Amino acid sequence: MRFVVLVKQVPDTTEVEVDEETGTIIREGVPSTLNAFDEFALNAAVDIKEKTEEEVEIIALSMGPPQAEETLNKCLAIGADRAILLTDRAFAGADTWATAVTLSRALKKIGNIDLIFAGQEASDGNTAQVGPEVAAHHGLPQVTYVSEIEEVDPKEEYIVCKKERDEGHVRIKSDMPAILACMPDPGFEPKIPNVREIMKAKKKPKEQWGIEELDGQEDDYGLEGSESVVVETYSPPPKEEGIKIEEEPEKSVDELLKFLDEEGIL
Amino acid sequence: MARTDLSDDRELTEEQKLFKESISDWAERNLPLERVIEMNREGYPFPEDIIQGLAELGVIMGPVPEEHGGMGLTWKDQIAIAEQIGYIDPSIATAAGFMAVETGWGFTLNRYCTEEVRKKYIQPAIKGEKFVGIATTEPKGGSDVAGFESTAEKEGDEWVLNGEKTFISGVEECRRMGGGYWVNVRTGPQIEGAPHKNMTSFFVPIDADGLEPQEPYDDAGRGSLSTSGFIMEDVRVPEEYMLGEKGKGFYHTMEGFDLARIMIGASAIGVTRRVLEEAADYIKERETFGKPLAKYEGIQFPFVERYTEMEASKLMVKKVADMADTRYDEEGWVERTGKAQTYKPTEIAKWISMIKYKVPHLAKDTADDAMHWLGAAGYSSEYIFETAWRGVMSYCVGAEGGANIQKIVIGRETLGKDYVPYK
Repeated sequence: MRFVVLVKQVPDTTEVEVDEETGTIIREGVPSTLNAFDEFALNAAVDIKEKTEEEVEIIALSMGPPQAEETLNKCLAIGADRAILLTDRAFAGADTWATAVTLSRALKKIGNIDLIFAGQEASDGNTAQVGPEVAAHHGLPQVTYVSEIEEVDPKEEYIVCKKERDEGHVRIKSDMPAILACMPDPGFEPKIPNVREIMKAKKKPKEQWGIEELDGQEDDYGLEGSESVVVETYSPPPKEEGIKIEEEPEKSVDELLKFLDEEGIL
Repeated sequence: MARTDLSDDRELTEEQKLFKESISDWAERNLPLERVIEMNREGYPFPEDIIQGLAELGVIMGPVPEEHGGMGLTWKDQIAIAEQIGYIDPSIATAAGFMAVETGWGFTLNRYCTEEVRKKYIQPAIKGEKFVGIATTEPKGGSDVAGFESTAEKEGDEWVLNGEKTFISGVEECRRMGGGYWVNVRTGPQIEGAPHKNMTSFFVPIDADGLEPQEPYDDAGRGSLSTSGFIMEDVRVPEEYMLGEKGKGFYHTMEGFDLARIMIGASAIGVTRRVLEEAADYIKERETFGKPLAKYEGIQFPFVERYTEMEASKLMVKKVADMADTRYDEEGWVERTGKAQTYKPTEIAKWISMIKYKVPHLAKDTADDAMHWLGAAGYSSEYIFETAWRGVMSYCVGAEGGANIQKIVIGRETLGKDYVPYK
């Protein structure tokens, strides 16, 4: 079986700063890390590989600047067998559509894929769009909010996974190939690669693909290939302090009605 | 407010960055500062789950060649690991037991042992299943490495050892896990003016008949790792347990000291960085007279002085690790004659002594400063500073060679042999 895991390098901080002029995230000087949802997706793929008797190749695929190679090194240490970085000036400034186009063309070039794993969303943009868009490009079944993969049957070509929903979870059986957008349970602890695995990863194959390796025109990619434009990026103003009425029930209702009346709400 | 991060790893290789990241991720789950403080308070033995975890992480004896069960890491790889171990455990117990003793000494032990000892003891120690250590100090002295009294006499195919070793790290852990020690004995008469001659090293299993472990001491710091000693009464070991050559024990031992001292220098950098980061988080938040403590020059200036010293020390440790990578091979420390390869082994020893003297003191002084900056909070064991201070003090006063011994080496190499105090 061949699995491809889509991974993204994201800023390793909860305090993202935005360039006021361009509206883009300031990445200079901010440490980067592997997107946590993608790390879970990769762990899920590695788990299957470790448990199955089938031969499995795991390819970590990322689009980003050359420094995103750091993230791929970590993927190789966790258990990916091969890594491909899609990097080209022409890919810069891509929205989710252009990103999905680029990834989809790379996936087509890789070929013979049984399962595509993606994180449910990335911690920097939180759009949750790329996985489903890739599925649409390839006409593949997709399962989102996957918290567990229970069964993979390459002979009968189906998988069974657990999909999280607000009211609980559902078990879904899907044909293969398929794309799984994964989301970890809160208690999930990713695999920590050890020194031996890190050293072994150094010898695993890594490739960089640019526009020349993929089909299409330059304006299919990056900013030019994007369907959406960021008009403004801003941090929402903090909520104003609320009013707390601490009276007995009967009196508090009166207080509330009085307040709503004064504010002209009623 | 974001947590202070004083690491600057941009010059590290991708692999070294990942080593550090894995150690931090592992510590977040298994060895947070609260547990370090608790372990230090509860005392020995060092918890087995931590030993197992370190072994699974692959941080014990990394430079041992792959064909011997190690990972063939460079010494620059290993200082990145040792620094991060000091960072996650500023009580220095982990660094003492598993970087200095098991890794620095373990490497040399592996280098001079026979295949039998390697299979029975070294390889299980790499897997966290056994403990190997070093026992050089005796009741009559430790700094004077050649001034010991233990002896060994040959009887048939065996050597019979007698004597006492004291202030030894990890005896209790070794007793519980199995393993043994690098032990120096005299295999011939002590020669006037050349006490290092006739000194031979052996590997002695902790469970050997006639070896009696002593009660651990109640040390000031690094409480989670035991320190004690053992008495040897007619302890018999086979010829295969001799390390290296008969009569060359002094030279083999100094190699072990050199490598262990590099590990300690790197670990003490990690301790210093953790102390500075933890202190920075506090002094930026805590206000007095309406301003954060960090705004006061009485606090900010010593803080930046320690930080600057730490970065300078980091360069020194890196230089020494580079020497180990380029000038330490199957011949031991070698003098290379090509361009830029002009260090004599004794000059390398000087550099190693400089880091062993300087960096633990820097870590201890930084913890001392931090306690002053935080006042009563800094003195409390709720914070890491007093635990770090007590732990790293062990590397100022003695372990792997006290500060004054390092100064003698530095003085010998700078002022000349005519000025060594012991002649």
